[in-house]
Amino acid sequence: MGRVGEPRLTAMAHTARSAARQRAERARLARERAARRARRIRTAWWVVAAAPAFVVLLVLIRVAIPEAPTGGGDGNRQLSSAVIDALRPDPSTLDTVGRGQGVTLPTPITGQPPLTADGKPLVLYVGAEYCPFCASQRWPLAIALSRFGSFTGLTASHSASDDVYPDTATISFHGSTYASEYLAFQGVELNTNERRGRGYAPLDELTPEQEAVMNTYNAPPYVPRAGSIPFLDFGNRFLQTGASVSPELLVGLSHDEIAAEIVSNPNGPVAQAILGSANAFTAALCVLTDGQPGEVCDSPAATAYQAEVGG
Amino acid sequence: MTEVARAGAKGRGTSATEPAVPRWAVPASLALALVGLGLSTYLTIEHFTNPGSLACPVGGAVDCAQVTTSAQSKFLFIPVAVLGIVFFVAMLALCLPTLWRRSDRRLWQARMAVAGLGVLFVIYLIFAELFIIEAFCLWCTAVHLVTFGLFAVVVLATAVADPSPFDRR
Repeated sequence: MGRVGEPRLTAMAHTARSAARQRAERARLARERAARRARRIRTAWWVVAAAPAFVVLLVLIRVAIPEAPTGGGDGNRQLSSAVIDALRPDPSTLDTVGRGQGVTLPTPITGQPPLTADGKPLVLYVGAEYCPFCASQRWPLAIALSRFGSFTGLTASHSASDDVYPDTATISFHGSTYASEYLAFQGVELNTNERRGRGYAPLDELTPEQEAVMNTYNAPPYVPRAGSIPFLDFGNRFLQTGASVSPELLVGLSHDEIAAEIVSNPNGPVAQAILGSANAFTAALCVLTDGQPGEVCDSPAATAYQAEVGG
Repeated sequence: MTEVARAGAKGRGTSATEPAVPRWAVPASLALALVGLGLSTYLTIEHFTNPGSLACPVGGAVDCAQVTTSAQSKFLFIPVAVLGIVFFVAMLALCLPTLWRRSDRRLWQARMAVAGLGVLFVIYLIFAELFIIEAFCLWCTAVHLVTFGLFAVVVLATAVADPSPFDRR
């Protein structure tokens, strides 16, 4: 009997061992599956984190790249000595030109709080390097301001190639500084002359104070249309939007040719307009400085527009 | 993360091979795809009407019009805003509850691939904003964030799904 039952017991033991092996195998597979899932989840977190990490890296690289030296528009370069001389013409040349021709005058305004900076009357210019009317406006403005102080860091620029009066030669106020014991000057170039999408690449940003001036005075009733450039505010005493000199006069002339016209041809249309406008600005600036310095404000050049500017 | 459910299978019988995804995966992916679709639709309308009218600052580092009118606003002559619509419609379809329930490996691969492609394209657009256009568009940034979010949901839900459609059976 005992011998007959032995194979049955052996088979039962075999079945039990087999079931145990299957259970162990299932447990092993479950452990492996759980381990694979855990690895997948860890990998997923790394993948998810990698994308924003890569963006952060791009931002850090962008921040680390220094701006171009001038930051101005394409091809801005140092002024030639001829242009530097033309921005400080001989006072006798300015006296000779007097009122000049083809000059649009700034408009006096009254009853406004004085616009000042560092305790001095402030002249605020807002324009853009692409703008041809700003291009012609900068010449007389820089000449007039140079009678009261001195600029550093002015660069040679030009208006946009694809706008009216293309490539009008000019100077840029971007990155420049102005020192004077009589006046403060802030020149803001909002855009370069480089195309960016439908507009031009941004350059200088208005400070909140400058923006407040623009919002108040570069809008009706002070000027015909809000937000026009070039915009000039002479200490909240005189305003001008648009160019005082037509850029048409400068079409086709290089920086040095304009400089030569200013210095050597005072009776020509370019010098008559630019120096005449500079004299009108000088008269306005003399109102801000209460006639200081005397050698400038008492000169025939500065008094040529005394009646209109009200000095 | 570990809380999983048969996607959209409440009250129904479920197959043992049907992948269970985290409870948050289906609503999160659908919501992000819908938000992205809305943003892309707005940007597309503005692209074809008046890009300057986007509700966004101008003139500084944040300048939507500058971005949406740049050369990079088109890819292979197709406005990227339109590509955004195509992307989010595809993701919306791939993230429907019924498709999350399917165990077809190709479907899960397609969902991952489309989401990954979206993120790669977004990285290219961010690169363009940083180094070429040098301006940012707030609306575009919102789309970028949604795309990153959608990618994260898809990748994590795929990793958590149990059984994984990528496991050999």
